[in-house]
Amino acid sequence: MKVPYTMLLDFVDTALTAEQAGDLLTMAGFELEGIDNVQGEAVLDIKVMSNRGDGLSVLGLAREILAKDAGSKPRELYTRAASRFPSSATSGQIPVSIETTDCSRYACRLFTNLTGASSPTWLQERVTKAGMRPISLLVDLTNYVMLEVGQPLHAFDFDKLHGGRIIVRKAADGEKIVTLDGEERKLSPFMMMICDADHPVAVAGVMGGQETEVSGSTKKMLLESAHFLNTSVRKTRNALGLSTEASYRFERSVDPEGVVAAINRFTELFIQCKGGDADATITDVYPTPARRAAIRLRLDRASLLLGMHISQDEALRYLTNLGFGCEKVDDKTLSATPPTWRPDVVREEDLIEELGRVHGYDLIPSELPHGATTQGGTSGYERWEDKVRDRVVRLGFTQTISHTLRDASPLDDPGTEKIGPRGVSDPEMMWLRSSTLSSLADAARRNGGKSLQLFELGQVFGSHGGTPFERTSLGFLVQGATSPEWWQSKSPATASFFALKGVIQSLADETLTHIDFQIPEHGDARLHPTRQADIYAPCGRIGVIGQIDPDVAEKAGIPPDTLLAEIDLNTAYASAQTEVHVRQIGRNPAVRRDLAFLIDKSTPFEKIQAAVMDSAGELLEDHWLFDVYEGKGVPEGKHSLAIALQLRKFGANLTDDEANRVRESVVQALASLGATPR
Amino acid sequence: MPDVAELEKTATQEIAGAGSSAQLKDLEIKYLGKNGLLTGLMKQIGALPAEERKTFGQTVNDSKGRLQSLLDTRLDALKLNEREVQYEQERIDVTMPGMPVRMGREHVLQQATNKIKDVFSGLGFQYMESPDVEEFRYNFEALNYPPDHPAMDDQDTFYVTDDLLLRTQGTAIQGRVYEKVQSGEMTLPIRVFTVARCYRNEAVDRTHGHTFHQVDAFMIDEGISMAHLKGTLGLFAKAMFGGEAKVRFRPDFFPFVEPGVDYAISSPKLFDGKWVELGGAGLIHPNILEHYGIDVERWSGFAFGLGVERIPMLAYGVDDLRNFMENDLRFLEQFHG
Repeated sequence: MKVPYTMLLDFVDTALTAEQAGDLLTMAGFELEGIDNVQGEAVLDIKVMSNRGDGLSVLGLAREILAKDAGSKPRELYTRAASRFPSSATSGQIPVSIETTDCSRYACRLFTNLTGASSPTWLQERVTKAGMRPISLLVDLTNYVMLEVGQPLHAFDFDKLHGGRIIVRKAADGEKIVTLDGEERKLSPFMMMICDADHPVAVAGVMGGQETEVSGSTKKMLLESAHFLNTSVRKTRNALGLSTEASYRFERSVDPEGVVAAINRFTELFIQCKGGDADATITDVYPTPARRAAIRLRLDRASLLLGMHISQDEALRYLTNLGFGCEKVDDKTLSATPPTWRPDVVREEDLIEELGRVHGYDLIPSELPHGATTQGGTSGYERWEDKVRDRVVRLGFTQTISHTLRDASPLDDPGTEKIGPRGVSDPEMMWLRSSTLSSLADAARRNGGKSLQLFELGQVFGSHGGTPFERTSLGFLVQGATSPEWWQSKSPATASFFALKGVIQSLADETLTHIDFQIPEHGDARLHPTRQADIYAPCGRIGVIGQIDPDVAEKAGIPPDTLLAEIDLNTAYASAQTEVHVRQIGRNPAVRRDLAFLIDKSTPFEKIQAAVMDSAGELLEDHWLFDVYEGKGVPEGKHSLAIALQLRKFGANLTDDEANRVRESVVQALASLGATPR
Repeated sequence: MPDVAELEKTATQEIAGAGSSAQLKDLEIKYLGKNGLLTGLMKQIGALPAEERKTFGQTVNDSKGRLQSLLDTRLDALKLNEREVQYEQERIDVTMPGMPVRMGREHVLQQATNKIKDVFSGLGFQYMESPDVEEFRYNFEALNYPPDHPAMDDQDTFYVTDDLLLRTQGTAIQGRVYEKVQSGEMTLPIRVFTVARCYRNEAVDRTHGHTFHQVDAFMIDEGISMAHLKGTLGLFAKAMFGGEAKVRFRPDFFPFVEPGVDYAISSPKLFDGKWVELGGAGLIHPNILEHYGIDVERWSGFAFGLGVERIPMLAYGVDDLRNFMENDLRFLEQFHG
């Protein structure tokens, strides 16, 4: 809210500069967002909290300054405002009927013999400084009084009100109104309207109708001052997409007891500006006047929760200055009745906040909690996830963190029914990702041309039979050279299925009890059909690995030699390795035996490996494939494999004979698979 | 008697004339080896008269000792020379580029998260998580939001269904934790924190995003006060940013705390000495505790929030929020925190 500083000085006699007043308001919870200099005057821009509608007025801010600053004194205008601008008007008889509980009070006053006078210069200037456009005396005054006391007012051309009456009701289905901004608005039955005898003339608390707008030729004006339920105004404003100074205040709650006071203040300024005559009566329909219950305030509890001592006298003074009805119950207890403009205060802790606010949060000391020691840190799944991430980083991968809210991608999980937020039209944030691979593909494209080793660990989403779910996915993307081009490496290795497979295997060695790679039963459509594998742990299928399908690569705009893998960590956790089993290490030397053989290329290595392990027996400590050759000297359809066997015996040195016997039995086992030694 | 002196003289000349350590080795074998010439003289000792044997043996041994010492000295000199040649031959240009090793790296937000986790864990706070797609009741209802609060509007919050939404704040975990307290799965006192991805329907620019990350930390114990909140925040700020930090409270409104404040920190050596606002905080609203059957006369608690992105923004001067989720390696590779 923009407040010309002189308007505050109308209410408060203070030595504070505009800056000091702004800082003081900030520390009271009304944040100074800036001070503008408009036509030589300081204008404070104050941000008001959503539960403090009373702060959207000069009166409300003046009250806060007076409560916090003992050096500031109320001026006559403040005192009269605090006593609701007493007037001698009598009870009026304009027919007003309230047909909805969303309106708790409706008051109005008739003004006649309108002179058509324009606003005096001081009024125009102040309205301008407050960020509004001066229009006419009637409109400027409604705005000005709203600024002063926080009560929105509306002026109707009385002669245009059919039947000379007011009905506050919900809109009927199919009703319409043309609002002051010239827009025709279709109304819904939940919207509260101000109506004359025939039809709606204003959207209650939001905006008036064009038909009954006051103009230079208006002879009689009916001034409305009413109290509308905040939630009702919000809903209507929301549906119409129409936010106004009035709706802004009603949404944040307006003082129901200030309704007539605003009319009174308007009247005195209207007469002062020679705008015409005021009817001697005010019509005020207020079926159930606001009542506030007293709240018990224990000073001990206040001091305990605030962590600083506040005396009973201080508490009494602070609350009284803020308009609370306050009395001592005993030495340590007060009874406080909140004013009607403070619907936010309903229990003891709310009062305690008031005390802290006024006394000053600066005075709260800094202490550390004492009491029972609690065990901090991560445990269970979260701890394991931290370990997994750490190991992936150690394997040389760079972590990406991407938006989960995104557009559709060729790398979305084809097996997942996707979900997304309702009513979002921006295609860039229409979906919740179903796979981390879509994010990694984006990252690869952004960093195009580089050789990459990326991973992303985060949530992915979907729906099972209409029930949304989320899980944690670990995705990998590798492309280009596995090590950067360099003058000493003559032919740098490039990314391959097996390079990534090795990474996954190393990761699993550290974090899972066991994994293996299986030829997929159905296949993942995102991956090359003959270059992909399912990843299995003892708990079941946990992920997939493969080269990207060339068509998908083209659609995603990344190279076809990109390798991908994705692991469902929530599933994999069931096979997590959380314990270390130490086995004895042999102290006798190991013996190596190599064997090279020709075998059909169609024989899966998995089978060869199983034959090696079965036949070598317990002396086999390790084995590895160290060469694969095909071409010259090798018959069509076959390739030559070379496997190293590492043998070791516990407690004794292995003899040449023993080692050769192991090698021989492996050779024989492989022969049964059709292998011939080279 | 064989002429030891003559042999020694010849050997001495040959040693002096040797051009390499290999030649010296040969000479050592030739004269001093098992079958060497000098050693061979010793074998003739039996042919000498008994009274000469002792003197002769002494002479040969003395000669061997002198030759050995000569050989050693000469060998040292030659080796030095040869190494120098070798070193020169093996010279490399050490200014050539080293092998580029690809090092794995955590994302800058992960680095900030790790630090946050370290600090809170050290303060005895237990790390827990809750889902991104959260139930309406945990995100709002359980946190004392009045019905129709503006934050619940469609244009501020992403809804997946009527009851499910994308979490708007890390605080959404609190109701889930209090349920565990209610069921006895956890017992008071508690200290809990989370790091949560949050979503709000906002236009994206340098300082706003529809997705951001938030820390929510809270504790419940007997007699917890605003002073404890201030002290804990001060300690947290010191651990995060280094240096003594002062904490400033300013009244603010969040439905889930009463009193509610926003807090700022300042430290003489940081942020140009200015106050830096970090987030919202306060005492956990008694309505919430009562709703979960926690006796508010005995227990009270504080809670505070913090934007994860704020940490690298403050620490490194990153001024555009969009950098964080774009994953440009040129940006990410700068951080090694």
